[in-house]
Amino acid sequence: MKRILEVVWIILVILTVFAYLLGYLKYISTTLVAVLLITTFIKGQLVIDYFMDLKKVRLKYRLIPTIWLGVVISLIAVAYYLPVSM
Amino acid sequence: MSKNITLKEPYPPGDLAIWIIIYVEFITFALLFLGYAFSRRLDVELFNASQMAVNQTSGFINTFILITSSYFVVKAVQSIRNMTQESQKDSNIEASKWLLFAIMCGVAFLVIKITEFSHIFGMGINLSTNKYFMFYIMLTIFHFLHVLLGSGILFFIYKKTKIYGYLPNDSKGIETGASYWHMVDLLWIVLFPLVYIIR
Repeated sequence: MKRILEVVWIILVILTVFAYLLGYLKYISTTLVAVLLITTFIKGQLVIDYFMDLKKVRLKYRLIPTIWLGVVISLIAVAYYLPVSM
Repeated sequence: MSKNITLKEPYPPGDLAIWIIIYVEFITFALLFLGYAFSRRLDVELFNASQMAVNQTSGFINTFILITSSYFVVKAVQSIRNMTQESQKDSNIEASKWLLFAIMCGVAFLVIKITEFSHIFGMGINLSTNKYFMFYIMLTIFHFLHVLLGSGILFFIYKKTKIYGYLPNDSKGIETGASYWHMVDLLWIVLFPLVYIIR
């Protein structure tokens, strides 16, 4: 695709507007937090693949930031969803 | 039968040393992000109440600005990568134009952040106000310093393009600066929903 960078930028903007509207309109629920975290992962992966240009590089160099992003977002989800023991 | 095999580059763009720095930054910010997330668990009401004082709109505008600046930086890198002997001057001019846009975005981010900080500090909030604001101030000021450094790096690359300093097959320098800038963008992409939105 010729205009891939522009498409990536548009997706990033749409997902950012989505996140902002959730917060601004106070629509944040426990389910939507999961959606928000998934969209954050997608945004991060788009930056890794197309802006950092790691899609064209050997897999191990692409996996380092991807694993970092996946682990951080998963642990944020654990912190959010795991019940606090009394 | 021919196979469509795309050969992968052996190393990431830019100097390998910048990637070591990027990995260290990833670890540092991961600890801060998780410190925030797990501290929040212990006092959700305090974090939710404190979060009301921060401006989500300025956080959103800054996310938009960083994403857009990253796009401009990629375009600048492409201009240098696609350079030929004949197009050296034009490619440098084109890259400088994209870099100037990116630097302007960086400055806009910093100005918005300073306005946000002056509002927060003007309310008498500081590091010891509570745990939310301790993390908010630490994370956002630490990230602010990275944007400041990144803008400085982009400015030096911009200066080089202004004297047509990049030659064909000489994109490593600009790729190094660009990789740092994209890292700053990536960190903010996680920081924004975590600190400004999730409640």
